[in-house]
Amino acid sequence: MLFLFRDDPRVAAVQRGAIDGVAFATSLMLAPVDAWDRLGNVFQTRSSLQEEVLRLQQENRVLKGQSQRLASLLSENARYKALLNSARDIGDDLIAAQITSLSPDPARHIVMLDKGVSDGVADGQPVLGAEGLIGQVTSSGNRNSRAVLITDSAHAVPVQVNRSGLRAIAEGSGSIDRLIIRHLPATTDIRVGDLLVTSGLGGRFPSGYPVARVTEVIILEGDAFATVFAAPSSLLDRGRYVLVVMWGDLQREVAP
Amino acid sequence: MIERTQALWVIYLSLGVALLTMLLPLPMEWRILRPDFVALALFYWVLALPNRVGVATAFGVGMAQDLIEGAPLGISCFGLMLATLVLLFNYQRIRQFDGMQQSLVMLALMILSSGIEGWLRTGVDLPTLPLTGLLGLAISMLCWIPTRHVCRQLRRHYGVV
Repeated sequence: MLFLFRDDPRVAAVQRGAIDGVAFATSLMLAPVDAWDRLGNVFQTRSSLQEEVLRLQQENRVLKGQSQRLASLLSENARYKALLNSARDIGDDLIAAQITSLSPDPARHIVMLDKGVSDGVADGQPVLGAEGLIGQVTSSGNRNSRAVLITDSAHAVPVQVNRSGLRAIAEGSGSIDRLIIRHLPATTDIRVGDLLVTSGLGGRFPSGYPVARVTEVIILEGDAFATVFAAPSSLLDRGRYVLVVMWGDLQREVAP
Repeated sequence: MIERTQALWVIYLSLGVALLTMLLPLPMEWRILRPDFVALALFYWVLALPNRVGVATAFGVGMAQDLIEGAPLGISCFGLMLATLVLLFNYQRIRQFDGMQQSLVMLALMILSSGIEGWLRTGVDLPTLPLTGLLGLAISMLCWIPTRHVCRQLRRHYGVV
């Protein structure tokens, strides 16, 4: 019955409202865990904090060094792009968000983020982890949003092998540490260890973000196609902090 | 004879609490083992008060479940409604069963409702549960007797009719 009303804006409004409601209910259920965490923070020792600061300072220095090179590379890249007459800007705006919970539906890999429309999040925006792409926003409430992970079996992302430039589509497998690439010709040049990055085809994901690393290439004799398995670069079930990329014209395209 | 309703809010409160248990944080791979308290609580109330809780309540519960999961609205309604209907036709017989037999009936009803949900999901190209989902249903089955106990105490204490 609701199939008939699935595109009705009023139904969509209810679903949007529900996102915030569910997030609130989840925070209620999580309250004891949060309280415990905070208690742990209070009693963290001074030395462990100092160690942490030292470690972060070191990491920061390394990152600063790397970003110096990045700046020069970016400007070089911009010059090349200008030479090629392709005028796509390089810097993407990022929103830092936090994963607050998992969807209770065990068949899916959907997470709840603590940023919503009022923070600039819109449907279709890519979500990055520390080491690469982890998913995309599928529906957003006012202060919270849902994002589907790249390993969800209803999700697929256009990728490119970094080494050879070969394009393919990495589908989610439904298991958290594995992506599948089907329908690659058996003679394709793809090897274990190859890095897959977003290709930017399809216009949904910006190009160049790491997605996964090839872990297994299966070519059965006589088969026309190879099956390739890859492990996501980011550990999808670890880590709470993610970045939402405010990217291009997506808002106009996707939001109703 | 017209029966007066009393303390109906207990029913809706218990269903609400059951819906909240869906939100308890679990690791990604363990979610499949979460007992389905929503269906169990719904089935209990249908069995205990078939004149108060029926297909319409099942519809509401299914909608709430879909909103919480972020699934397409209504996809889990149909299975729950059908299971409720089966229960409504047979409640007098099932009330006579002992706990273990009732648990088996509940397992059958949950297989029915989740089977229909899976069928609908396949229809709209959404991922369905793997076969290990049956393990979650078996755990739900074991939770029938405690759920029945808690709901029965609530019903007697507040005199829900």
